[in-house]
Amino acid sequence: MNPVRVKFIREKMLEVARDDGLDEEGDSTENAKILSGLDVLDIGCGGGLLSESLTRLGARTLGVDASASNIAIASLHASQDCALQNSTLSYRNATAEDLAKETPRYDVVCSMEVIEHVDNPAAFLRSCATLVKPGGHLFLSTVSRTPLAYLLTVFAAEKVLRLVEPGTHTCEKYVKPSELLDFFRSPVGESKRSWITNMYDGIAPRREAEVRGIMYLPWKGAWELVPRGAFGSTECNYLFWVRKPMPL
Amino acid sequence: MPQDAFSNRVSSLTNASRKFLSDIGAWSRVDESRVARIEEMQVWDGVSDASITFNANEAGISMKDGHAAYMTTMTENLNLQRALIRTLDSTSGVNIIDNTKVSSIVKDTENGGWPIVHTSSGGTFRARLLVGADGPNSPVRKFAGIESYGWAYDTRAIVATLYHAPRVEGLQNPNTTAYQRFLPTGPIAFLPLSSTASSFVWSTKPAIAAALTNVDGQILAHMINAAFRLPEVSLRHLYRVIMEEQENLTPEMILEEIRWRERSHSIDQYSAYSSYATEALGVPADDADLVPPVVKSVQEGTVASFPLRLSHADSYIGEDERGARTALLGDAAHTTHPLAGQGLNMGLGDAQALADAINDAVLVGGDIGSRTALLPYTRSRYFENHKLLSVVDKLHKLYGSTLPPVVWARSVGLEVVNELDVLKAAIMISAGSNLGSLKERVGRQGVSPWSVAATGVEIAGGLVDAVNLVGRTFQGTVSAGLRSVAESMERR
Repeated sequence: MNPVRVKFIREKMLEVARDDGLDEEGDSTENAKILSGLDVLDIGCGGGLLSESLTRLGARTLGVDASASNIAIASLHASQDCALQNSTLSYRNATAEDLAKETPRYDVVCSMEVIEHVDNPAAFLRSCATLVKPGGHLFLSTVSRTPLAYLLTVFAAEKVLRLVEPGTHTCEKYVKPSELLDFFRSPVGESKRSWITNMYDGIAPRREAEVRGIMYLPWKGAWELVPRGAFGSTECNYLFWVRKPMPL
Repeated sequence: MPQDAFSNRVSSLTNASRKFLSDIGAWSRVDESRVARIEEMQVWDGVSDASITFNANEAGISMKDGHAAYMTTMTENLNLQRALIRTLDSTSGVNIIDNTKVSSIVKDTENGGWPIVHTSSGGTFRARLLVGADGPNSPVRKFAGIESYGWAYDTRAIVATLYHAPRVEGLQNPNTTAYQRFLPTGPIAFLPLSSTASSFVWSTKPAIAAALTNVDGQILAHMINAAFRLPEVSLRHLYRVIMEEQENLTPEMILEEIRWRERSHSIDQYSAYSSYATEALGVPADDADLVPPVVKSVQEGTVASFPLRLSHADSYIGEDERGARTALLGDAAHTTHPLAGQGLNMGLGDAQALADAINDAVLVGGDIGSRTALLPYTRSRYFENHKLLSVVDKLHKLYGSTLPPVVWARSVGLEVVNELDVLKAAIMISAGSNLGSLKERVGRQGVSPWSVAATGVEIAGGLVDAVNLVGRTFQGTVSAGLRSVAESMERR
């Protein structure tokens, strides 16, 4: 699942760079160091899979996780890769709320498959939003609260196939894309502007936010981004991007 | 090397492979004066004379490089290797360590199990990804604990560079036609290199191969001419002659033998099938394009032979802990019979797929040694190569038989295919002849012409096994039948 997430982050960052007039020629399409010079925060980094990828793309990465053992595992894994040892990857045992109380802010904040496990998603989102620099990006991924999502992620993955430890997911905690979009329609964090200014038929303006479904294709053995706007594409796993507005 | 001398190790590059080489900037560094473009291919059955002609024009292959339509390109391996090394030299970030051997490969058990390569010059490399492109006896494959299965063909391939008169301009095709005759002992192929020089590959039984490499070059030249022309029964006699009389055989004796045989088969002295054709001047015989030019001599020191083997690694990427961060490609992953000229092309296809997989992984910040990063490589190549290996193997077996029903079936099949231009074009395109098909080939899903062809040959191959068995039993050699059952059981 990791490559598809990074692919989404990559595509989004390239698109924004083009919109901002920073990459008019489209030269960066093959650029391997797309996150060069950016401060990136990975909330709920787990074993550090995403954090490592972000670091390889040039980011100064901080991976945080509420579980101390996850941080130990992630640190050990990174220590085996000499290319990461002297680099800009660090890990901390902390929560988003802890970090929000500190001063550093980040160009990119990612939190993949976390929000469906937290008890107070609104508070969690507020912390995440606070951590983003103005003009910065927030990337989330989660599962929508639909019958299909229950069937696939709880019934199939946990109860039948046992790919995931039973009890990992609670369907009631899943978040629908529209709920995330609604959350950012009203002002969030210290800025007095709402992150999404308008909605067009349930779709946010392209430069402000995007919801993109992802799907596991068994015959390819890989996760793929579902084409934009495909029917039912955000009924289960999806990625979410929103950009923090500049202060007025 | 002088302009008219050619190395005996040559390869046929499909247009797909050649495009890949152009795309990476290597083709422009190849010495074009030493490559030959093959526009036509003439393939026929050594027992029944059923034949098939592949022509690049008929296949609708269009060239963007200003040459007449061609199917494959013959190059000396040296020429290609030099071009590739020059390409690497001009690529930043590439370090070539030459005149050095790998002394050992061990696992860094303390630190995540990365492979550590020790070299004879005392160097130590901790590899994020160790690519084994190290030939059929691949040390990397052994390190990674990847098993390889397959079997040796009871066959050796003889190679050499041949000299012959140029084709008559205006009256004949230039020397751009490759020829292959399937003899029951194995196929013999004639592969043009220039207007007066060509390479050849003759796969045959080890005893015959030993005799042929042992005799005088002039005798070999006569034998090659005979192998493309004389009926199979006479060839069997000639093999016996050279095997029995190796020591005191002279070129004159073998030529006399061949001419006696020609007379007994009533081969017209003025036909292209006659050994007198070398001496003919003026207008070439009507059938001159059906057989290769008459070989006059063999380039000194180029006669060599090597054993043939089918093998396929169980996996192209190291499994579990032991083989982590390893990938195999080319001969390290698979070896094949040279009859289809696909060995190098398969290897180049692997290289391209691996490079694509690595590129994709780098763009998403992946660890290029990880299984996730390498899986697309093995997914896109393993089955593709397996089909090709299997088809080539079945072809070898199909044409190894002299049993009348088998010969009849394969000859009818060949003649029918020869009349079906669409199917022929499909076979050629899928064999990589078409320039435009490269991208599709890499990312192709679903049914391909090769898989259609593969299924056909697969069925034919199965039939051959069955017919062979029945045939032998009828002939009363029950023991041979039982042996072949045992063999096929062992194989499975």
